[in-house]
Amino acid sequence: MNSAILSCTGLDKPEGSVAREVAIRMASSADSEIICPVLLNRSLARYKKSLAENTLIAVDGCSTRCASKLAEGLGIKIDRKVLISDVLKSSAVTLEPSLNLGPNGLGLAQAVVDDLVQSLNAPSEPIPSAAPSGAFPPPTEHLMVTHDKFEFRIPATDYMFNENDVWVRVVDGVAHVGISDYMQQSLTDINYFDATKTDTDVDQFGELGSLESAKAVFEIIAPASGTVVAVNAETVANPGLINEDPYGRGWLVEMKLSNWPEDRALLLKPEAYAKTVKHKAEEA
Amino acid sequence: MSEATFMGVPRDKISWHPTIDYEKCNFCMECATFCPHRVFEQREGDRRLVVANPNNCVVLCRACSKTCGPDALTFPDKQSTIAEIKQIREQESVQ
Repeated sequence: MNSAILSCTGLDKPEGSVAREVAIRMASSADSEIICPVLLNRSLARYKKSLAENTLIAVDGCSTRCASKLAEGLGIKIDRKVLISDVLKSSAVTLEPSLNLGPNGLGLAQAVVDDLVQSLNAPSEPIPSAAPSGAFPPPTEHLMVTHDKFEFRIPATDYMFNENDVWVRVVDGVAHVGISDYMQQSLTDINYFDATKTDTDVDQFGELGSLESAKAVFEIIAPASGTVVAVNAETVANPGLINEDPYGRGWLVEMKLSNWPEDRALLLKPEAYAKTVKHKAEEA
Repeated sequence: MSEATFMGVPRDKISWHPTIDYEKCNFCMECATFCPHRVFEQREGDRRLVVANPNNCVVLCRACSKTCGPDALTFPDKQSTIAEIKQIREQESVQ
């Protein structure tokens, strides 16, 4: 698969230098085209063809996420993201405190390149999988919470919520998970869904991946413990669905629950969640 | 905020809020701008950013740290916090 790579300029901190090094190495070893962030910002037309034809990988050095934010600000869809500061935290590497990378920084950059090349060369099918149980009907009755000009919908039945605005719908032993209407409105336009891999075991209140908008990165906090058995391929490909239909087609993952009778005691029913939303909306 | 609860536990009994590492913070104020719950406040003086309203922080939320380029914000361990909440619930028989 052909790729284009947009990275941090690497002129502020060592993590950025790693991001820049990843771009340079991808260009030489994986035949990726480098998208210069400064030039992109000046002239989108220069890269129009490349962006249309290639898988776009954004490599950010730190959580300021300059490369990602630049793309999002220009309305460019990012297919894959790497955040070097997160990669660093999950590795045993300590970066040299300089913009000139030492052996540790160069080694980390090569490890990221190897991982990217491997995923680009992998068969395109396995990233998200369709839900084995298929689609489910969206809720028909809602509780409404209003605050100023905003209206937040909450399904009246079947859905339970954690106080971090993630719902679980358990019907006939199948559990679907997504975020509430309140949260999708708070995030505004969601442009990236980084999903947990299938077959991952997650504790209640553990992480089920993240959602990203121009406004924030949102950790999806698991409403119940269990195994992720499917990721919604539609929302991965088109995260805007989460904004359009948060309780239906915008579901995120399907889980096989492992401790539902106990977990549900820590969740809110729709009426109680409506009070929580009201409180949050008034406080914000 | 005194009436606020999380999982039925009074919010002020749960120690969950960001801590600023002033060695790393560059006072860009991204976190303060982002957080809709007014956890942070800007002040005069050397420490121009403080965690002024820790109990406004949504328990288990770490979204502000995802805006922090210098990685200056830390949170308590999530599993320990959940265990603490469950323990308080048991003690107080909160339903």
